[in-house]
Amino acid sequence: MIANTLTVLLLLAGLVFFAAGTAGLLRFPDVYSRLHALTKADNVGLGLVVLGLMFQASGPADILKLLLIWLLVLAAGTTAAHMVAQRTWTHGEFESDR
Amino acid sequence: MNGLLVLFDLVLLAGIVGVAWRCLASTDLFRAVVLFITFGLLLALAWVRLEAPDIALAEAAIGAGITGALLLVTLERLRSIMAERRSGRPHTPPPDPTGPHALLRALHDPPPERRTFIPALSFALVVGGLLVTALWHQPHSTGLEPVVDAHMDISGVDHPITAVLLNFRAYDTFLELAIVLIALLGAWSLGRHDLIPARPAPGPILPGTLRLLVPVAIVTGVYVLWAGSHAPGGAFQAGAILGAAGILLVLARPRQLPMAPGVPLRLGLTAGVALFLLVGLYGLVAGHGFLGYADAWAYPLILLIEVAATLSIALALVALFVAGRPAGDDA
Repeated sequence: MIANTLTVLLLLAGLVFFAAGTAGLLRFPDVYSRLHALTKADNVGLGLVVLGLMFQASGPADILKLLLIWLLVLAAGTTAAHMVAQRTWTHGEFESDR
Repeated sequence: MNGLLVLFDLVLLAGIVGVAWRCLASTDLFRAVVLFITFGLLLALAWVRLEAPDIALAEAAIGAGITGALLLVTLERLRSIMAERRSGRPHTPPPDPTGPHALLRALHDPPPERRTFIPALSFALVVGGLLVTALWHQPHSTGLEPVVDAHMDISGVDHPITAVLLNFRAYDTFLELAIVLIALLGAWSLGRHDLIPARPAPGPILPGTLRLLVPVAIVTGVYVLWAGSHAPGGAFQAGAILGAAGILLVLARPRQLPMAPGVPLRLGLTAGVALFLLVGLYGLVAGHGFLGYADAWAYPLILLIEVAATLSIALALVALFVAGRPAGDDA
């Protein structure tokens, strides 16, 4: 019961971060502030979701797998954000083909 | 709870249709590719909801991941080729709208016309109606599940999907492997490989992350391959994961990777098909039929074929990404 309540609370908190990050991605004016909103919010949001799901795991193996997922997404997200920011810094904002 | 799941399914369906439509309607190629990758990920979710995690894994790894990377690199090459053409011939006259090839050009770049809307809509409605009618009158059947379950003990593996793919219907899987190899031969026959016009990111972040991610990808790939005998997984998914690691390496260091040696590369590329064919021919000689195994040998043979197939698929995906046969071996 306590585990289920904690899961629901943590998942909802995580979803708030995801919603905030998505709103930032859609509303912010330039690449850097969008990246700022997206990566920070997604990292913390996913962390909360993973933490919430850990209370539903069936054993330590599942908990470690969830932790691994979060760490991998952290590494990949950080690198992707860095590369987008660096590309924008050296080449300017992305231009579409149209 | 059930109502919530139905709601989730409906949202997912709407998302899939919406993303597919945006992808097809987009005039910006880059946006279309990104939407295609999103479409693949949503489709993987749909496979999960249909309780087909094997196909979900394959869709996410191959359909969204590798195909997305292939499309992106194609777009990059296309852009550099177009830029070369433009700088080579700066004074191209604008195309004559009534010239002899006007119809051909119109096929490639049709202007948005309102009068095509009604025929297109009615065509879509007719085809959709026919599909719905055909599906409506499907007789309800349990499929082949009972047959597969009844024969699991002689298949050599514990996972029904792997049993079907590598034992009961090994012929299909063999042809799938052969198609990957033929696709690569097609790409190689088009010409020698030129360097990807990618711009490697300066700085230590990307190489550092790759040092972290590539070992994890190798362990994950081998795990997915090994898990295939009793859980969702198998050669195609594992090959896609390993291939993705290779593509990341190629992308991060396009100029510094050593040239692949010709003979081992070709041996690795053909290992899956060749081994599968050898085992199949042996089955034919030994009296189990083409691609049949003796029951006691089923597990080791399936494992052997899966390992070789994983290696071949991973190498073929990277080679397709690099495109063109390796430079300097015309022997």
